Amino acid sequence: MKRNMRLEEHRIEQEPFYMPLGPEVKLAEAAYITGLPILLKGPTGCGKTRFMQYMAWKLDRPLITVSCHDDLSTSDLVGRYLIRAGEAVWTDGPLTLAVRSGAICYLDEIVEARKDTTVVIHPLADDRRELPIEKRGELLVAPPEFMLAVSYNPGYQSVIKDLKPSTRQRFVALAFDYPGADAEAEIVARESGISDSLARSLVKLAAMTRGLKDSGLPEGASTRLLIQAGKLMENGIDVRTACNNAVTEALTDDRELLQAIDEMVSSVF
Amino acid sequence: MNVETLKETFYTLVSPDIPNDWDVEEAVENLASLDEEKCRSALNQVQVIWPVSHSLCFDYLKTVTSALDCFAADNLSEWVNSTLDQYEKQGLRAAQRYMADVEGNFLCPLRGESGVPFKRVHGRLLPYLRGLSGSSLELAPHDVVYTDSSTVYVPHEITLFTDDADNIFFYKLIVTYQWAFIACSSYTVAESAGSNRQGQDSSTEELWLQGFIDSFPDPRLAGDLYHLLETIRVTTFLESELPGLMRRKRSLSDQQQSRGLPLSVTSEPVCRLRDFFHAADNRSADTSLHERCLALAERHRTHARSAMDSARLTRTLYRIMDEEAVEYTPVEPLLYQGVMRLDGVRHARSQRLEQSRELFVDALATLLLQQGQAGSTAVAEQPPEGPGAAPDKEGVAVVVDARQQDALTASDSTVVITIDNEKVQLNDELQRLASSIISDLGYFPEQYVSSAVGRAGKGYAPFPAGANEEGPELTGPVIYDEWDYRRNDFRKKWCNVLEKPIPLTRSSFYPLTLQKYHGQIHRLRYQFELMRTSERFIRRQRDGDDIDLDALIESLADSRAGLAPSDRLFIRLRRDERDIAVLFLVDMSNSTQGWVNEAIKESLVLLCEALEVVGDRYGIYGFSGMRRLRTDFFHIKHLDEPYDELVKQRISSIAPREYTRMGPALRHATTLLDRVDSRLRLLVTLSDGKPEDYDDYKGEYAIEDTRHALIEAKAAGIHPFCITVDRHAQEYIGHMYGSVNYIQIDDVKKLPHRMPEIYRVLTN
Ligand SMILES: Nc1ncnc2c1ncn2[C@@H]1O[C@H](COP(=O)(O)OP(=O)(O)O)[C@@H](O)[C@H]1O
Ligand SMILES: [Mg+2]
Repeated sequence: MKRNMRLEEHRIEQEPFYMPLGPEVKLAEAAYITGLPILLKGPTGCGKTRFMQYMAWKLDRPLITVSCHDDLSTSDLVGRYLIRAGEAVWTDGPLTLAVRSGAICYLDEIVEARKDTTVVIHPLADDRRELPIEKRGELLVAPPEFMLAVSYNPGYQSVIKDLKPSTRQRFVALAFDYPGADAEAEIVARESGISDSLARSLVKLAAMTRGLKDSGLPEGASTRLLIQAGKLMENGIDVRTACNNAVTEALTDDRELLQAIDEMVSSVF
Repeated sequence: MNVETLKETFYTLVSPDIPNDWDVEEAVENLASLDEEKCRSALNQVQVIWPVSHSLCFDYLKTVTSALDCFAADNLSEWVNSTLDQYEKQGLRAAQRYMADVEGNFLCPLRGESGVPFKRVHGRLLPYLRGLSGSSLELAPHDVVYTDSSTVYVPHEITLFTDDADNIFFYKLIVTYQWAFIACSSYTVAESAGSNRQGQDSSTEELWLQGFIDSFPDPRLAGDLYHLLETIRVTTFLESELPGLMRRKRSLSDQQQSRGLPLSVTSEPVCRLRDFFHAADNRSADTSLHERCLALAERHRTHARSAMDSARLTRTLYRIMDEEAVEYTPVEPLLYQGVMRLDGVRHARSQRLEQSRELFVDALATLLLQQGQAGSTAVAEQPPEGPGAAPDKEGVAVVVDARQQDALTASDSTVVITIDNEKVQLNDELQRLASSIISDLGYFPEQYVSSAVGRAGKGYAPFPAGANEEGPELTGPVIYDEWDYRRNDFRKKWCNVLEKPIPLTRSSFYPLTLQKYHGQIHRLRYQFELMRTSERFIRRQRDGDDIDLDALIESLADSRAGLAPSDRLFIRLRRDERDIAVLFLVDMSNSTQGWVNEAIKESLVLLCEALEVVGDRYGIYGFSGMRRLRTDFFHIKHLDEPYDELVKQRISSIAPREYTRMGPALRHATTLLDRVDSRLRLLVTLSDGKPEDYDDYKGEYAIEDTRHALIEAKAAGIHPFCITVDRHAQEYIGHMYGSVNYIQIDDVKKLPHRMPEIYRVLTN
């Protein structure tokens, strides 16, 4: 009962807007049917999270998202005993919750988590599809509806944090990248409400910032940043200020790069 | 002071030089009118200038009197310094010009009135240019504005406007226009993809444009017309591409007259056409001629689709001027338009093509080998420069189909290659290279593909280098054993390692690299600074500085639930002192020729810059050699040697030499590190793949010996780590290096960026 209430929050009722950029929807559906986990890789802000929301809606499963970080422990994923009114009560973690109820569990930026944390997903990711809960001496077998999805950004991960081959080879890998100029402009216009021509200019600006890898900017402006800039513009902030705050300053602190991006902004708009 | 005393003082100042008496007299008599104190200040500078240039010193004495009318003696040394700057940058003439206009050149900038030097905008405009172009164009100051399609040359300084923001903007305008000429293929236009695609080596071909212009009786006029028409076309392109920039340009030209700027600064290119008919102005019938040409230019502005349209209109306008007997007085180009230097473009293009051809053939050959297509269709390699190499000679039918996606800018073409009716799936890298080749040549030469087929067929063996001039040895040979896996034992005293100084070469590699990675170095310094000592919290410890609340709560809950509670309940703050010594061992074998060698050197530069900040001890050695009795071990930087000019020069001089006998080099590096006392001792190898020597040191034998040498290093308490630049995953590498001890970099261009990061992670 309680569990179902928690779960309902994770249901996606409305169709999220997602523009497919390749065969990723078909692939993910096939992976779902076959019971294979998926790995989304790509730079930040290029639509991975949105894609998962869309898939969850399409497959009609709840979506449980965990943003991974340094301090994430196995208990944070699997669950722990808590003390309620003097009694120890077991509480499922998000991963366990998803397995029990046949939801989609999405571990965002998996490489941010420590290795000893991520080992718990190994038996879930291979054909056993099971989750041992050591503290309770319980072994959960995932129902067919359960799907595991993880994401990572190959761009700025340090070498050592790269996913272990034994882990990553269990996944069906879907490579994401920023959409092509036309598609990206359409997404930006649609998500932020700005005009098509303004969106195109934003996309042009993004393309320029993405060419700065050799100049000390490992990641250029993402689709998300463009949408944020667009939203500011829609709310009456003038174009230059919006770009400055949503794009330029968000990308770097380096004085010369700031100036360079500023010059790009003033050329494009 | 009278002239006699002045002369005497002068002679003592410049002794032991004894300059000509009249020269001295002529120069110092100018000072006679100055008062004692000013005179002394003026003479004080003689010692500064004389050693730099005697003529400059005499010129100085002739102008200093009038200069001291403009500013106080306190400013004298600054003025002299600026003059010397000019002299060193641009020579005597420039320095004389500089001294002649004290007001404009010295005082205005001193008062902060105007003038932006290149230095001030370089940092922002280089990334701007790279962002625009999405490629690694360079930016450099020069006396004339132009681009050779690899570098954009801009003025040393812009002083046109009183507001520096406008001067900076003007720099940007120049950079943008020069980029646009490249992006719109203004100089690399080719008549049509079909013609002349077989035959001679295309990379050294004349530019089509050069031939076109030279075909006119007055090439100067034809060139100027063409360049102006391209400027018109490019302006339209920029209007749609970068409206913000062009808006500001217009507002500058609106104010042009009120500001009294020369017409060549911001005029619209279309208007500029009028000046071509200047000499004809007096003739009455010419208004209609003007109108006609301007109408053509105006139509060109709105309708031109490609550089070919400009060429066509050049022909038309030239004919009109010829028929109407208009005499052409050369028209000065617009400032942002710069000049057209086709010889420079040709040179840059052929360098670029050479590189991309080599990379393309290499990458395609490897791809073919992997796909197993080469075996059946092997032919002898045909060097692309071979005359008339018919691509389908030995029964290999090669079809290349290049499609341009955007006629306006000629960039982004898609190439489809078919070999013997089978379509080859090109990867991103090959597509990118092909696209760059097409944008340079206007077509894709089929010979490149047949060369790759040939190379794949031959199994692709690297070429042995010719005899290298050898440097003297630093010490006698050091002798090492070598591991023979077949008998599971060492071959005793088998190899000689010779420590040698690296033969030095001169190049601008270092400053160029510093410039190229300027932004990254800046960032690295900051990152590495943070590494000096690191502090971090570690959770769930048995004891520590603070209670780990999460752990405590969990253990309480566990014990309530009847489980054994954990006793790891503390957080501890850990301070890590560095105390790291690292040796970098660089593969200088012949196979690193080209990009790999460049990338390795660039990585070393970045590393040195970063390591200087963090303060780790580091040394650098290169190795290469021939047969077991000579593995050359080149000294670049000893462990505690300071990072100075000489070290930099040695890094610049790293060059591909002979073969890669890894084992002895690793063993020698191990010996060197073994003498060092440090908490962490690292041995980092940078190479491009398989170890291989001229004799039987190859294949499994070489792999096993290398592997064994690494194991020996580990046994000595050294952490070996190998970085290989290799486009393809090689199954043997994991075995040779041990899976955790290496990283493979598939794109050599990434090496400089990843290298410092790898180091950072390794030592953190
Ligand atoms: N293909 C797409 N279809 C629809 N929206 C997209 C698409 N790609 C990106 N977006 C937009 O970009 C934003 C950022 O994407 P997000 O999924 O959060 O990125 P990521 O998870 O990869 O970091 C989304 O909120 C969405 O508005
Ligand atoms: Mg996300």
